[in-house]
Amino acid sequence: MTLPFLIIIPLFGAFSMPIISLFGKKLKEYWALIISGATLGVAAKIFYTVWKTNEIILYTLGSESPIGKGVKFPIRIVWEVDLLGALLALTITFVGFLAVLYSLGYMKHDTGLEKYYTLILILELGMLGIVITGDIFNFYVFLEIMSIASYALVAFRNDTWEGIEAGIKYMFVGSVASSFILLGIALLYGQYGTLTMSYLSLKIAENPTIVAKVALAFFIGGLLFKSGAVPVHMWLADAHPAAPSSISAMLSGLVIKAGGVYAVARIVFSIFNPGLHAYLKAFNMPSINMEAVGWVIVFFACLTLLIGNAMAVVQTDMKRLFAFSSVGQIGYILLGIGIGTLAYGSRAGELALAGAIYHIVNHALIKALLFFVAGAVIHEVGTKNLNELSGLARKMPMTTLAFIIGAAAIIGLPPLNGFASKWIIYESSAMYNPILAAIAVVGTVFSLAAYTRVLFTFLGRESEKVKSAKEPEMSMLIPMLILVVAIVVMGLLPWQINDKIMLPTARMLEQLNGEYMVALLKFLGGA
Amino acid sequence: MFGYWDALYFLYAFFIGLVISYLLMKWAEKASTGTRRAGDGTKIYISGEDQDKIIPHFEHFEGYFTGRHVMWGLIRGAQRMFLAFRKEHTGLLTDYVAYLLLTVAIVLGALVIGG
Amino acid sequence: MIPLQFVTAFLMIFMGIYAFLYKRNLIKLILALNLIDAGIHLLLISLGYRLENGVLPTAPIYTGYETLKGTPMVGPIPQALVLTSIVIGVCVLSLAMALTINAYRHYGTLDVNKLRRLRG
Repeated sequence: MTLPFLIIIPLFGAFSMPIISLFGKKLKEYWALIISGATLGVAAKIFYTVWKTNEIILYTLGSESPIGKGVKFPIRIVWEVDLLGALLALTITFVGFLAVLYSLGYMKHDTGLEKYYTLILILELGMLGIVITGDIFNFYVFLEIMSIASYALVAFRNDTWEGIEAGIKYMFVGSVASSFILLGIALLYGQYGTLTMSYLSLKIAENPTIVAKVALAFFIGGLLFKSGAVPVHMWLADAHPAAPSSISAMLSGLVIKAGGVYAVARIVFSIFNPGLHAYLKAFNMPSINMEAVGWVIVFFACLTLLIGNAMAVVQTDMKRLFAFSSVGQIGYILLGIGIGTLAYGSRAGELALAGAIYHIVNHALIKALLFFVAGAVIHEVGTKNLNELSGLARKMPMTTLAFIIGAAAIIGLPPLNGFASKWIIYESSAMYNPILAAIAVVGTVFSLAAYTRVLFTFLGRESEKVKSAKEPEMSMLIPMLILVVAIVVMGLLPWQINDKIMLPTARMLEQLNGEYMVALLKFLGGA
Repeated sequence: MFGYWDALYFLYAFFIGLVISYLLMKWAEKASTGTRRAGDGTKIYISGEDQDKIIPHFEHFEGYFTGRHVMWGLIRGAQRMFLAFRKEHTGLLTDYVAYLLLTVAIVLGALVIGG
Repeated sequence: MIPLQFVTAFLMIFMGIYAFLYKRNLIKLILALNLIDAGIHLLLISLGYRLENGVLPTAPIYTGYETLKGTPMVGPIPQALVLTSIVIGVCVLSLAMALTINAYRHYGTLDVNKLRRLRG
């Protein structure tokens, strides 16, 4: 059983870090590298197992069976890993490993590094916990672990006003959003008396009350904040540029996915099962109208991808531009999830979900690469203002190559991986409603305009500040090159990846035959 | 199902867009009185002939010719949109909380009424 | 009839949100944060409360003794949840305090409306 080690290894690594750092100066960095590498291995093993057997892993904490003694319902905490969770765990550990590797060079001049590596491992642990848990309160605990670690990391450079101000805004409003999620959990528990996600979905289908709808609204509101959808995207644009670049890569690439859009998908598809409710509706039984949920998500998705990408055009700060671009890309993922809810059970819905999942993975890689590039520029030149930077191409050729690949991939140029996922989202939204596809394409136009601006930074005439720049050191170049290779390779076989990995993942999330529930119900003895 | 050949649709849409924008430009040139041809490097005020009414950020617009109504409207519209978006990002914690409450209220209303 | 404790819980949550919208001092905002948390905890705790045959249930300290005596217990899960949530709340509180001290160092004020260099 390898699943618990996904949590045990980073937890052990994080809290042994202060002790390890007593023994040597360099030791803590290698320790972080070893721990995150081991976690990557465990995640790869779990992903391979789930993908090979195509079965959900169900693990009960502290017992053999999730059913309590003498009662007929699950009372223990369960971890339930389906393909989506395993795929995200793999992505999180991969990007997390590269971020730690990048930090070796990037954070060399900072102090308090043992705290930094502790926090980065806790951040990774929180995200891994979110993607593997099958218990809704456990989900909240991991969400808070992740959030607190990211609040602290945003304000890590506490000698700058930028980090502190962004940290305060992120933290206060983020805590209110977390409180809303907890309120939703309290309401669901009060109504149905259980916390296990798959059992909860059965209970809700048995008796869908207004309390369930209110709880769902609190969940979606809070999680839209955590994923940075548009009316509540402002913390993201402040916090992500203020963090150190290796952390920005993790925040933009992973945190808003694991704690935001993944959680939305999990709650909409696994707790409020759209198929079950459509079935109930067909027989005129009381049910929750999941179309309304889908339209709410699509509404916020359209706002997000228009305004996020448009705001990116007018930024003068490189990292702030990338952060706004992240907001825009979250819009595409939410659009895929929304259409997946609306067109549940049809070909378009399945494709839209597959596209959304594909884009989660692709955007994690691309945005990590772009923030690594921004970090290399800051490290070598010392500014991130686009008006002062110009003509880096001759001084930093490898970095420029990495940036061009990343920018082309995020816009969605054909031979790269961003094209495939965006294309699937366009195609499925055009199949459902052509107007949504048109809005999505307009968002891409803004995105193209934004990245063209940054391209001039690299290719234009050399400015004064750039004269003394040189390539960053190897520990910063290697993660960038690994990501470039990953992006190009994933771009060369997009449809194979889609058919082999993304479509089965979408089917498992959609659970047309209730796989997520059946994995638990096995223990109830055919009930 | 789909493949790289579908990317040709992009080119197709792009060419249609080119044709439409060319026609729009021709129409603007002919229809609007503010359009004129000028020599290379002449300073052009997209507010028309009036040099006092310079649009901020576009003072140095140099080029060949421009359609007054179409271009003016498009550029001003786009700029006003960006300005509105930037102004909305106030940086006040209170506003952030207000937007969060607004979002939750919208979702709550939609789900309680339509759910 | 809605039990009084639910009304109190939601009142506390709304008081916290009101403070978030209209108060400007960072310390007061931290208190507001805790007020919202406390309201939700009250809601959770009162979910586990019940009156059985007119007897007040005891705390769920499970030693085997209660079952002998025959007195009922309150639901144990909400108490476990609240305990966990309080721990998380303390983490948030301490981090918020640390950030507030740092903000005072950089800006010389605790007025949250003065913290607006990041915008646009």
